[in-house]
Amino acid sequence: MPVLSLRGISKRFGTTPALNGVNFDLQPGEIHALLGENGAGKSTLMNVLCGRTQPSAGQIFLGDEPVQFTTSQDATRAGIGMVHQHFLLVPTFTVAENLALASQTRQSPLKEAAKMANRLGWIIPLNARIADLPVGTQQRVEILKALLGNARILLFDEPTAVLAPPEVQELFTVLRALKAEGRSLVFVSHKLNEVMALCDRVTVLRRGRNVETVAVSETNAAELAHQMVGDAVESAALESIRSVGPDKSLTPLLSVAHLSTVGGPDAVALRDITFAVQAGETLGFAGVDGNGQAELAAVLTGLRAKSAGRIVLRGQDISRLSPRDLERLGIAFIPPDRHTEGLALTLSIADNLTLEASNLPRFRRGPGGIFLDRAGLRAFAAQLAADFDIRANDLTQSARSLSGGNQQKIVIARALWRKPDILVAVSPTRGLDIAATRYVHARLRQRQAEGGATVLISTELEEIIALSTQIAVLYEGKIIGIMPPETPREMLGRMMGGQMQESGHG
Amino acid sequence: MAELLRQALRIVAALLTAFGLTFLVILLAHQDPRTALSALAAGAFGSPYTLAETLTKAVPLLLTGLGVAIAFRARLWNIGGEGQFLVGALAASALGTSGLKSLPAFALIPVMLLAGTVAGALWAGLASWMRTARGVPEVISTIMLNFIAAQLLSYLLHGPMQEGTHAQPASEALPSAATLPVLWAGTTLHGGVLIALLFVGVVTIFLFRTRAGFALSVVGANPEAARVAGMDVARTRLTTMLWSGGLCGLAGGIELSGVVGTLYENYSPGYGFAAVAVALLGRLSPWGILASALFFGALNAGSGSMERSAGVSASLSYVLQAILLLVLLASQRVRWTPRRTVMNEST
Repeated sequence: MPVLSLRGISKRFGTTPALNGVNFDLQPGEIHALLGENGAGKSTLMNVLCGRTQPSAGQIFLGDEPVQFTTSQDATRAGIGMVHQHFLLVPTFTVAENLALASQTRQSPLKEAAKMANRLGWIIPLNARIADLPVGTQQRVEILKALLGNARILLFDEPTAVLAPPEVQELFTVLRALKAEGRSLVFVSHKLNEVMALCDRVTVLRRGRNVETVAVSETNAAELAHQMVGDAVESAALESIRSVGPDKSLTPLLSVAHLSTVGGPDAVALRDITFAVQAGETLGFAGVDGNGQAELAAVLTGLRAKSAGRIVLRGQDISRLSPRDLERLGIAFIPPDRHTEGLALTLSIADNLTLEASNLPRFRRGPGGIFLDRAGLRAFAAQLAADFDIRANDLTQSARSLSGGNQQKIVIARALWRKPDILVAVSPTRGLDIAATRYVHARLRQRQAEGGATVLISTELEEIIALSTQIAVLYEGKIIGIMPPETPREMLGRMMGGQMQESGHG
Repeated sequence: MAELLRQALRIVAALLTAFGLTFLVILLAHQDPRTALSALAAGAFGSPYTLAETLTKAVPLLLTGLGVAIAFRARLWNIGGEGQFLVGALAASALGTSGLKSLPAFALIPVMLLAGTVAGALWAGLASWMRTARGVPEVISTIMLNFIAAQLLSYLLHGPMQEGTHAQPASEALPSAATLPVLWAGTTLHGGVLIALLFVGVVTIFLFRTRAGFALSVVGANPEAARVAGMDVARTRLTTMLWSGGLCGLAGGIELSGVVGTLYENYSPGYGFAAVAVALLGRLSPWGILASALFFGALNAGSGSMERSAGVSASLSYVLQAILLLVLLASQRVRWTPRRTVMNEST
C-alpha cells in the first residue's frame, strides 16, 4: 500500500487552474521523481503536500486514511518533511538556533539532529552561523530540519538547482541512504539525467495534469522529454505566415557575436552567445526556465551589462546604450512579467499606456519640454486602447482592475504601436487564457509579416514552435544549437535538457 | 466619486476616533474635556488674532507637508524634513545677516528664501546621492541628517554665526528689510502665507502636469517598470528629493523671516516631523495637505489657550496629533491588508 496518495487534486488560482485532477502514489522506500516544465504545477503540488496551500478539490491519503493539512505544522506532524529549494533558514542564526526554531517540541532538537548527522556521515558545525556556511552544508541543515520528528516522507523541491556537480553526487548518496532507511522520497526536478540516475519511478506533470507514472527502468530520457513538452495544439494556422520568411540576401538587422555576461547568485552567466536575426524573421529561444533567458533579454534591451561580445543593429554597436536610446533606435521590449516589470499597477490604464509615449516631442510642452500635453496623451491612450482591443470601462481606472489578458495587451500595445524594427518578447503569453494567447500570437505574427524582426524568448515550447522561423535552444547560458522549426519536439526537448545536438545549423 | 467619498468618510471617522480618544485622555487627567476642547477651539478660531495665529502656524506645516508628500509619492521615505528645515533657516539667516543685509527688502527676501530652498534641497540631495552611490535607504540617511543638521546649527550658533555680544547661543537678529511684511495689521500673519499658498498650486502642477511629476509617480508605483520603460530611476529620485528638501528648506527660511527673526538652538518645534502627519492626513494630495496643515495649525495655535484657560497641558495637542496619526495609519492598514492577501491568492 502506498504511504501517501493523492486522488484528483485540483487547485485554481482565480480562474487559472494550476493543478487539474492530479493522481499520485508514493510507495514505501522509493524515490519518486516529479518531472515537469516550469509552470507545470510541480511547486503547487508540493505546497499542497506540505500544507502550505489547500487544494480546491481532491483528497490526500496517508496510508488508507484521508487527511487534511491546513497548516504546514499539520504536514510535519503527519511525518512529512520538506526540503525547500530556497532554504527556509535564518542566515544570521547559528545551525543550532535554526534547528531549535524548526523543532515542534519543547525539547532541544540538537541530540536528535546530531544522531542523524552522524548516521549520514556528516559533520555539522552546530555553532556556526548559517550565512558563513557553504550552500551544500546549508542544504544539509535544511535536510536535518526536515528529518526532525523522524519524518518518513521527504519532499525535495529542485534540490540540485543550487548545487555544484560534485555536491549533487554527494546529495544523491545521502538520498539513497535515506531511502535505505525505509523513508519515501519525492524528488522534484526538470533535469532528465538526474531523474534517470537517481529515481525509481517518475511522474510527469504537464500543465497541471499528470501525464503518466512509469518506472524509470521502463522509460528513457527521450520519451520523458517528449511527455514533458507535449504535442502541438494548434500549429496549422501559422503555416501561411511563415512562408514570408527572411530574405537571406540582406545583412542581418540584428546580430549578436560572442556575447557573455558575468553570473551571480541570482543570475545565470551567458556564455558566447552568437546569433543573427533578419527582417521578417522570428528567432525563438527555447529552454527550461533559468537557463539564461532573463539575462539574455536584459542584455538585449540595455538593462544588463555584458562582459564580452558585440550586439550590432544595422551595423552599429549598440551594446553600451541605455534602454531609452535602444528604444529610439527601434528596439521594443515585452518584459517577462507584466506585474513586476511591465506595468505600474496602481496607476491608471492611460498612464500605463503612455509610459514611453510621454517622452515623445509631440506630447511635450513649454521650455525644455518639461510639461506634458495631458489631453494629447489621453487621446493617444484612448487610440491605443481601441487599436489593441483593451477592454476597460474607463481608462482612468487603475491597471490592477483589468484582467490579465487586458493587462498584457497594454504591454503589447506599448511595444508594438511604433512598429519597432526589433521586438524582444519574453514569455508574451504567460498566464493568459486561450483567447488572449491567440490575440497576442496574431499580433506577433502580424509584426513579423510587416517585416519586423522578433527575438522570442519563452519557456513554452509550443509557442516557440508556433511563431519562430528558427529555434535556438538555451542551456546553462549557452546556445546549444539553432534548429529549423520542423525539428522534432523530442529532439528539442532533449536539447533543453542539456543534451548537445550535433546537427545544429547557423 | 464614490472612492473620494469613501476617503473623506475614512478621514472623518479617523478624526472622530482621535478626538474621542483624546477626550478619554483628558478625563484620565481629571480635567473637564468640554472646557478643554472649547478652549482649544477659541484659541484657534475665537478672534481675528487667533485665526491669524492658526494661519501663521499652518505655513511651515503646509510647506514641509508638501515637501515630504512629494517624496512619499515616489515611495522615498524622507523623514528628514526637520533637518532640511533647519539648514534652510541656517542659510537664510547667514545671508540675511551678511554683507547683503543692506539690500532693499524686495531683493534681500527673495535671495534669503532662495538660499534656504537651495540649502534644503542639497541636504536632501545628499541623502539621494547616498542611496544611488552606496545604497543607503533614505529613511535612515534622512533621519541621521536631522541630527547632523541640529548639531551643525548648535555649532554655528556657538561659533561663527553667534550674535555680536556672545551672550547667547543665537544668531544676529534679521534686519527689518529681511523680514516678511505683516499682511494683517495687529496680528502675526505674514507674507509667507501667500508663498505657501502659491506652492500648493506649483506642487499640483509639478505632480500632475510635468514629465518629472509623471516619472515620479511611475517610479513610486513600480521602479522596475519605470526602468524597463526607459526612465532614469536614479535621476527621478534625485529630482524628487531636491523638490522635497527644497520645500522644507523654504519653510525654514520663511519661518525665520516671517516669525522668528533670530536663529536659536531649538529653533524648530518639530515642524519637519509634524510634516509627516500633515502629509498623511492630507492623503499626499496638495489640496488635502492644505486642509490638514490648517487643521494642525489650529491645534498648535489652540493648545496654548487650552493650557491658559482650561489648565490642560499644551502637550495634550501633541497627544491628539499622535493619536490621530496612529488612527490614520491603522485605518489604512485595515484597507490594505485584505487586498494584498487576495492578490497573493490569485497570482
